Amino acid sequence: MSFSIDFIEFYALYLAISLSLNLEFGYTGIPNFGKVMFIAGGAAFGGAVAGRLAANILGVGTNLDFITFNARIITQVNNDLVTDPTLAVELVVIALVVAALVGGFLGFLASYPALRLREDYLGLLLLGTAQFFDVVLRTYTPLIGGSQPIFVPDPYYYWSTLGPGVRDLIAMMVMVAFAIAVFIFIEKVVRSPLGRTLRAVRDNEDASSSLGKDNAKMRRNVLIVASAIAAMAGALYSFYVGSVEYDTWTRFAWTFWPFLIVIMGGVGNNAGIALGAFFFTLLFKGLEQVQPYLQPYIFFNVNWLQDFLLAGLLIVILYVRPDGIMREKSSHTLNKSILGKIVNPKGVENGGSGVNEGRISRIFRSFSSLFHRKSSPAPENQAEVPEKTG
Amino acid sequence: MVPEYLISALVYASLFAMMAMGLTLTYMTTKVPNFAYGSFVTLGIYSSYTMVKVYNSTPYVGSALGFVVGALVSALMYIAILRPLARRGSSLVSLMIATFGVDIGFIGVFGVYTDYLQYNLGHIDAPQFYALPDFSLWGYSGVTFAAPISVVVIVLAIYLLFTRTKFGVAMRAAVENPPLARVLGINVDMVTTVSWMLAGGFAGYAGALLTLQLPAGTATGSNFIVEIFSSSVLGGLTSIFGAAVGGLIIGGSEILVTLGLGLGFGTPGAVIIAAVFLLGGMLLIRSSARMRARVVGIVLAGFGVWIIADMVAGFPVDFMSYELVNGFGPNVTPFQQAIPLLIMVATLMIIPQGIFSINFRRLLRREKK
Repeated sequence: MSFSIDFIEFYALYLAISLSLNLEFGYTGIPNFGKVMFIAGGAAFGGAVAGRLAANILGVGTNLDFITFNARIITQVNNDLVTDPTLAVELVVIALVVAALVGGFLGFLASYPALRLREDYLGLLLLGTAQFFDVVLRTYTPLIGGSQPIFVPDPYYYWSTLGPGVRDLIAMMVMVAFAIAVFIFIEKVVRSPLGRTLRAVRDNEDASSSLGKDNAKMRRNVLIVASAIAAMAGALYSFYVGSVEYDTWTRFAWTFWPFLIVIMGGVGNNAGIALGAFFFTLLFKGLEQVQPYLQPYIFFNVNWLQDFLLAGLLIVILYVRPDGIMREKSSHTLNKSILGKIVNPKGVENGGSGVNEGRISRIFRSFSSLFHRKSSPAPENQAEVPEKTG
Repeated sequence: MVPEYLISALVYASLFAMMAMGLTLTYMTTKVPNFAYGSFVTLGIYSSYTMVKVYNSTPYVGSALGFVVGALVSALMYIAILRPLARRGSSLVSLMIATFGVDIGFIGVFGVYTDYLQYNLGHIDAPQFYALPDFSLWGYSGVTFAAPISVVVIVLAIYLLFTRTKFGVAMRAAVENPPLARVLGINVDMVTTVSWMLAGGFAGYAGALLTLQLPAGTATGSNFIVEIFSSSVLGGLTSIFGAAVGGLIIGGSEILVTLGLGLGFGTPGAVIIAAVFLLGGMLLIRSSARMRARVVGIVLAGFGVWIIADMVAGFPVDFMSYELVNGFGPNVTPFQQAIPLLIMVATLMIIPQGIFSINFRRLLRREKK
């Protein structure tokens, strides 16, 4: 049971992060090699702020240094939170808001210098900024205790009193709700004219600027929004785990894996990302389970296998299917049936009847366009929809 | 006796110059920023470590090994990964991501190797070790001479290669205009492979020498990648000599500026800095056409004015000027990494083509008017 909770939580977390990366990289063409910074920033600031705030409001350990006496303070805070559930909810909300602000601000800061330049410089700059942030995180102790982990208040603490595993279940559900919200949000953005503008910025900057779009501003805004989302995911993760520590935030786990998911699932296709994240979670969790059995046969720590396997997987995918499992599809702002009516208004009253389409072929067609458009209720006069490609 | 920090700066600068030259070489030939370059440096680091700890030899033998290993692995990466992907039609960004992936793969390689060193051979400091012992010459460590001499030799060799040998000229042609070079019968693929071998060799060699100066570990090379890139960008990604100069500047300034920030530049130092800011700012404002550069110029000049005014008034406000004179204290060490980053940002904003792209004659002529 706890394995499935962990599995789903991991999936939801990486889904949210990969969706935000897809927004930046898949739709706008910003290779964010510094992704880890935004997620870690959200976890650090969101978690740390929540902790300090809770301690202050509840009046716990006000004369003690938050970092040194962290364990004691947070334990007391958690006990108090059980009796004050509204505060727990407020803490989560405030942490999310702080995380979003921090993420957005970091996104702005990191992108400012290189917005007008080519992708390789942008990628480089983001990588460098993330590295610097990494050093700050490690050495600036008052933030998240430097190399020592600090605890964050557990807003789900109430449920741990109900029985084993209930608390994790609730935490997981919050993460899942967040991931679904992110998915819906990004899908809406992407299917709008804004989404098409982003793709124009990605594909042909000259064309988009000739049409009056400010490329740099688009990139900056996307980076801010995507970073805010990633930061919120980080904050939620820190609540799930209950602590924030420096060692968790490696380039490997928080930049490379999302890239792997995006490339594997489908650059520029959110449903593909959902699938890719699922495969990745399967692969990773599967590896985790299998690894202990391999350990006796090899002389090195079995965890290193992950590095080559996943890196190798990335390269193979780039070679064999660089667009990912599900390719990017063009988006229609209106769904197909309405478009069909606009293009080809052949209703019964116009003298011609719509083609009598058999039920099976209609079902088949609607299934195959499931990842293609929103499903719509069948309109009264089902005019023939001209079958366009893409 | 030359102060320790100057030695440090000299060695650091030389190493960066070598690494940046290699990186620029890979960029010039394939137009892809190679994120795995840092791992080539780590290969050199561990060549040196292996030679010293396992074979009881010296890091200088390790540096030769590092050159060879770096060259082979780099060539392999080009042949087995970049070239097939490029032929497949991968975009620039996909290739970048591929190199990023290779860097990740190397984490595993180094993990396995250090595990072997640690558990099978008993070298417990394999994952993170202190600087290796060096020989002493006239009171200074050997690397104090080895590093700068190597840079000079390499730069000379490259210069001679590019201008005096047929192969070098072919390399330059292949970089400038690959299709035309092919038409003339130059094997661009081979030229690129050799360039990558050289680049990897420089990385491995520099990595080995690095172990004589700094503590190192499995992540050291990868951590340098941003600084190496900053050096290349500063020099201009199309000029190898620019990379060398950029590396010298960034390597040197990292040590010196961090030290200065920590201990303070002293009153004369602070005045000089303020003057530099002021003049540099004014120059930017006057001679630059880009809005961003002007803004940077205004900020710099303003800062210069502020420092001087504050100093004259006896530091009434506690904002930077006092610390510039007397030092920010030991907390400044994390910001060492920030310096190359800031330099890269400044370069990208003011002279994105790098310093070797500035036509100094034209600039000076304008000033005379």
